[in-house]
Amino acid sequence: MKTISKLLLAISFAISVTTSAFAVTVVSWGGAYTESQKLGYGDPTAKALGIPINWVDYSGGLSEIKAQKEAGAITWDIIDVFAMDTINGCDEGLFVEFDFDKDFPAAPDGTPASKDFFTAMPSKCAVGNILYSWNYAYNTNNVKGTPKTIKDFFNTKKFPGKRAIYKSALTNLEIALAADGIKPGKGGAKIYKALETEKGVERAMNKIKELCTDPKGGCVFWSAGAQPPELLVSGEVVMATGWNGRFFGAEVGEGAPIKQVWDGQGLDYEYFVQVKGGPNDANGKALKALSMMTNTEMLAGSAKYIAYAPWRKSSIAIMEAGEPWYKDGKTNMVPQMPTAPQNTKNYFLVDPVFWADNGTELGEKWEAMKAGL
Amino acid sequence: MSSETNKILTTDGIPLEVSLKKAERKNKIKAFLLVAPLLLFLLITYVFPIGDMLLRSVDDKMVTEMLPKTFKAMEKWDGKELPEEEVFEAFYLDFRQLVDEKREGKLSTQLNYTKNGFKSIIKKLRRKSKSFEEGNYKEQIMSVHKRWANVEYWQAIKQRAPAITGQKYLKGMDMYKNASGEIVSVNEDRRIHRVLWLRTLEIAFFVTLFCFLMAYPIAHLLATLPMKYSNLLMICVLLPFWTSLLVRTASWMILLQQQGVVNDFFVWIGLVGDDNRPEMMFNKTGSYVAMTQILLPFMVLPLYSVMKTISPSLMRAGKSLGGTPIVAFWKIYFPLTIPGIGAGCLLVFILAIGYYITPALVGGASGTLISNQIAFHMKSTLDWSFASAMGLMLLSGVLAIYWVYNKIVGIDNIKLG
Repeated sequence: MKTISKLLLAISFAISVTTSAFAVTVVSWGGAYTESQKLGYGDPTAKALGIPINWVDYSGGLSEIKAQKEAGAITWDIIDVFAMDTINGCDEGLFVEFDFDKDFPAAPDGTPASKDFFTAMPSKCAVGNILYSWNYAYNTNNVKGTPKTIKDFFNTKKFPGKRAIYKSALTNLEIALAADGIKPGKGGAKIYKALETEKGVERAMNKIKELCTDPKGGCVFWSAGAQPPELLVSGEVVMATGWNGRFFGAEVGEGAPIKQVWDGQGLDYEYFVQVKGGPNDANGKALKALSMMTNTEMLAGSAKYIAYAPWRKSSIAIMEAGEPWYKDGKTNMVPQMPTAPQNTKNYFLVDPVFWADNGTELGEKWEAMKAGL
Repeated sequence: MSSETNKILTTDGIPLEVSLKKAERKNKIKAFLLVAPLLLFLLITYVFPIGDMLLRSVDDKMVTEMLPKTFKAMEKWDGKELPEEEVFEAFYLDFRQLVDEKREGKLSTQLNYTKNGFKSIIKKLRRKSKSFEEGNYKEQIMSVHKRWANVEYWQAIKQRAPAITGQKYLKGMDMYKNASGEIVSVNEDRRIHRVLWLRTLEIAFFVTLFCFLMAYPIAHLLATLPMKYSNLLMICVLLPFWTSLLVRTASWMILLQQQGVVNDFFVWIGLVGDDNRPEMMFNKTGSYVAMTQILLPFMVLPLYSVMKTISPSLMRAGKSLGGTPIVAFWKIYFPLTIPGIGAGCLLVFILAIGYYITPALVGGASGTLISNQIAFHMKSTLDWSFASAMGLMLLSGVLAIYWVYNKIVGIDNIKLG
């Protein structure tokens, strides 16, 4: 009996080792997001290609993959990263550079991949995955009237109460300028032009400072994505900036009394990158899986489970045809997308190049400003 | 008589002295082999990584090797006005070489650490430099982006010339070496690291103090109560210890926020007005409360283990010799608990100084500590040399405290259990 159980153990171990050796390892943020990726395109791709996909959670940043590379033992194939990380990682030589239209399939109508994505990629190593939004939401029970614009977020006279904002400078400086009267221009170009100057940065910082020191306002800084809806529901703040997928989850998924405002939203992206020298780099399996996961149909799949927009324009058509697209079978998903026309009347695209360039210095200024609050 | 005959021989004819030495050596080797795995373990997990950190924090060979011609041409440059054509030409030649080797991305990352804004202008330069004509590189490079015509960016490049540098340590103290080689503070609106160091120390100090004040009576109770009560109390100490840190932090948020349970209770009993609820969360108070509760067991347990060994008859003897309870406690009991206090305080302080999740979640505007900054440079900017420098500064801070403690109390006086 004992020998049999030992033998079984050995076999199961051998199987687990071999399957994980053949599997493509995809690293992402975990939680509801990874779930949407796994159900939306991970499992279908694995099934279609016969390549098992192994999902691993991480908390962002490039330190793990850099450490793996320095130790010469790379175990990750594909990573879900922020735009800034695609630039930094590509410059460091951590990721594979793509030949975009050759590596990724065209849309069903024949539009080449590079034209089918909403904007150009921030680096040669990136392929778009979802678009999400930094918008704001308010508690409908605690706010009298209806906030409609980004100016209302800063208007403590009309809408008194505390606000929750993100703990770092990222997107806060942009909305501060948008609320201070700078028209974002095409994709927010004018905002970033203003932020290139010392004066613009100062103007943005002052606007935030004003809000946070206002006796009728005040700030709570959030750091985890789950916090904004929670702070709103508990009544701790009356308005909060946050990620639209989280607000959607609370509003539609859990029926919380909150409402999103899309004016002055910052569109941001998630990307996949392929690790150079990963276990399935040389045999081409990683690229094969990645290319399938980011095709029109597959990308639309993840929006069934979470309110983030697929990167490809052609995916929206599939969703429209399939409405109600949300997994509950009654919610239309297209209007919930950060890219929907009614949500993009006044928006900016979070500029990864700007933040890769200036992130450290602005971060220091931001912390110095916070220390003086 | 010759000395030869004096030597005592073993049965096989080898002098006893030699034979003994041989046996002793054998034993020494055996003993060494016995501790070798531990030694190796220490080397691999402790000495080597810290040595690596130290090297990383001062090593700047990479940039020195990337721009050899530039740095040579820059030797004659005083660093005050824009450099001459020959520096630009040397830079262009180095840069072309890097582009051919596809290493210009690494250069942009490195230079961006010294001065922000290099990333995009190097990308631009790569694109434009393909169509550069021979000669007059100064003008051509400056026309790529206005930052290339800004002397500060050239000063930043010059700063990276030495292969070994202490700049990262200066940066950790909000200082830098300016163009004429003086060490000066950075602009006021960017001085953040000193604030963070002080804040980290302050929070760690007060958390240690609060932990001590609360843990002492608890540990005393634990040590003196009869077994059936003290066991229950011990479980009360250990249960939160076993609960996830994030769960405990989140619970404090629910309890202490302005619309939270505690405030609701205060309003309900009429202690405070509904529109005047005290702020106990998302500020320093929140950090202190949550961190003290989380670190409390680390103080209780060493104190308890020391107090358990103090015989109750000592206090009785003190009292019977005429001391009031306070005098007896102060002269007899307290000095005996010092080893536990030392262990507990050091443990809590060292843990607190490296904390960051809890203050980041509950600390509000002042929730960023130095470890958040280290993590930011580890994960996001990939400036590992700066992260190493700050890590070493933190480590030497802890060692300094350890040294002071050793001078005042004596390290032999520590007892963990």
